[in-house]
Amino acid sequence: MFRTLKKWILSLALMGSSTSVRTLTALMLCGATVAVADVRLQGAGATFPNPLYQKWVTVYQAEHPEVKIDYQSIGSGGGVKAITDKTVDFAGSDAPLNKKQIEALGGKAVHIPATAGAVVLAYNLPGVSDLKLTGEVIADIYAGKITKWNDAKIAGLNAGAALPDIGITPAYRTDGSGTSYVFTNYLGTQSESFKETVGQGSQVKWPVGTGGKGNDGVAAAVSSTPGSIGYVELNYATANKISFALVQNKAGKFIKASPETVSAAGAGAAEGMKPEKLAVGIWNQAGDDAYPISAFTYLIVYNDLSNIKDANKAGALAKFLAWAVSPDGGQKLSMSMDYAPLAPAVADKALAAVHALTYNGQSVK
Amino acid sequence: MSQLSATDSAGFPSLTATKRGFPFTGDQLLALAARGAGAVVLLMLLSLLTVLIHATWPAIKTYGTQFVTTSEWRPNELQVPKRNDAGKIVFDEDGEMVQTTLPAKFGALAVIWGTAVSSVIALVIAVPLALGAALFLIRIAPGKLRGPVSFLIEFLAAVPSIAYGIWGLFVLVPLLQKYIEPSILSIASHVPVVGERFHHFLGGDTGLSGRDMLCGGLLLGIMILPIITAVSRDVLAAVPVQQIEGTLALGATWWQSARQMLGYAKAGLFGAVMLGLARAAGETMAVTMVIGNNNQIALSPLKPAQTMSSLLANEFGNPESDLHRSALIAVALILLVMSLSFNVVARYLVIGRGPRRAS
Repeated sequence: MFRTLKKWILSLALMGSSTSVRTLTALMLCGATVAVADVRLQGAGATFPNPLYQKWVTVYQAEHPEVKIDYQSIGSGGGVKAITDKTVDFAGSDAPLNKKQIEALGGKAVHIPATAGAVVLAYNLPGVSDLKLTGEVIADIYAGKITKWNDAKIAGLNAGAALPDIGITPAYRTDGSGTSYVFTNYLGTQSESFKETVGQGSQVKWPVGTGGKGNDGVAAAVSSTPGSIGYVELNYATANKISFALVQNKAGKFIKASPETVSAAGAGAAEGMKPEKLAVGIWNQAGDDAYPISAFTYLIVYNDLSNIKDANKAGALAKFLAWAVSPDGGQKLSMSMDYAPLAPAVADKALAAVHALTYNGQSVK
Repeated sequence: MSQLSATDSAGFPSLTATKRGFPFTGDQLLALAARGAGAVVLLMLLSLLTVLIHATWPAIKTYGTQFVTTSEWRPNELQVPKRNDAGKIVFDEDGEMVQTTLPAKFGALAVIWGTAVSSVIALVIAVPLALGAALFLIRIAPGKLRGPVSFLIEFLAAVPSIAYGIWGLFVLVPLLQKYIEPSILSIASHVPVVGERFHHFLGGDTGLSGRDMLCGGLLLGIMILPIITAVSRDVLAAVPVQQIEGTLALGATWWQSARQMLGYAKAGLFGAVMLGLARAAGETMAVTMVIGNNNQIALSPLKPAQTMSSLLANEFGNPESDLHRSALIAVALILLVMSLSFNVVARYLVIGRGPRRAS
């Protein structure tokens, strides 16, 4: 009797048509999604602004319980791929999209500056604090032209510092990252030979040094190796109490990176922003207080949100974006999270870009 | 279905299928499920190869054999001044330099080199130790010790590679950087006549990071030691006792007898080494943490390097372009074919050409 029953069940399971499986899955899913929000927005991309975006999502959802937002920090490249495949509603990217990427999106990408960040140079030199560097010296170090810490070029900038006679080990990011993009673009403005031999990009071929994956990979390389220097995001450095160098800006001043000095760099860039192209490099900006290795990070959406199924959802996305860039909304939270808020002039342009978004040709509000 | 109805090929007696109206008996269902499972395993390998070859195509089409004969791996484009045939920079009418774009370039020789050299370093370290340990276990160790030591070796083989990586990063790297590599450099610089050049060649002028080819090879050697030891021990245990007694009866010393034993098990031991090599070549996370990740061919073991698997771990997440992605998959394909051939050779040598039978 019992055996027969077992056989019955076995054959049922194997013979069972896919419909029964589907019913079962559907039943299980029903149980899992009891608390469903009215609108669910999906985003993915850059890791650098992730802590800030998560904070935004938490605060925004508390104010608007009908909206649920997921942002997955899978990296800028992954985010761009996801929005190209239309598997997300918005993407985050540190590097502005290049020509090919914009073409893949049908030429309809809008870059909305979300916040600004900086790349800082962490170093491991026991006994040396507030190291001063210029862009040219950094480029020479990463090109393998300056190999010792007591090189005359470094000593000239740091009078009085006890620079040791040890080799310099530069550390770099091996994974494709906006940090590398910003850093190499800045160095390209400082040294012609760097531009021609290493070039610019999210991933480049570094002639010397050791590579690490992610900010933590680079930071681990720096902290474990006396004599090493590495580039990491400002936020990462402050959160982990890593000391970093002062960098000379265009005005000739040595500036320590901070949300204020990065914001100052962003303010200078507002003039160069056109409504149809908000993506601008803000490295090496003029201004006494501007930290030179600064950059915006962007939220990327289609200019017509018809990739999103219903108008309601598109409207919710536009509202969230508008809230995120406005000074009383998301930007108010930036400073406390150690991100540089958008300067008012930049925030205005970002807001205008959000208001220009359409849904099937109609303005979304 | 019809061939399943009477008796199946394994010779199991088939029950009549009509009992209580069910279409299949338990035996037939099991046979079907087992065949299906067998087919799935084969299909997986086949589809893996198909997908890899298909995705590799753009890289093969662009670079051909250059992919494995050149070593420049540069995912980004370069803007450089245009030069004419004489190597002079070209200027336009306004006296401005004419810029030209060098496309991204992918040559895998540096990572193939990295994998080969780190694996060789690993074998040089692991093989003598593993053979010694295996001989100890089979011929010297008292019975009481044999069990626990064997267990420990098998336990080491099961430690996840990330654990080895962390150990490498926090123990091996500082040890190499602070003590071992400076000593190597200082010995090198005291070599008469060529000392200076030797020191320079090893990389003594630039900083020592400890994360380099030597560290990667050392860590790999430690990681493959258990598996080579375990397989060698089994191979040596299978040498007939008469063989050993025969050598002793002929008056061989202990050492001579042990050599005869190693010679007798030659093929199996070589297979054990190949298994170790396959693991060394495919090892990813631990190597990525300690090898320095620089795509260059440096002859000095004290300079950072990159292996095929560490390149994939580093760059596959966010490729710059479709060609970059394709080039990375091509590296994966090379790695797969290499590991597969190592494993096939090893199996053939350890187990022999006859089919294995379920006992």
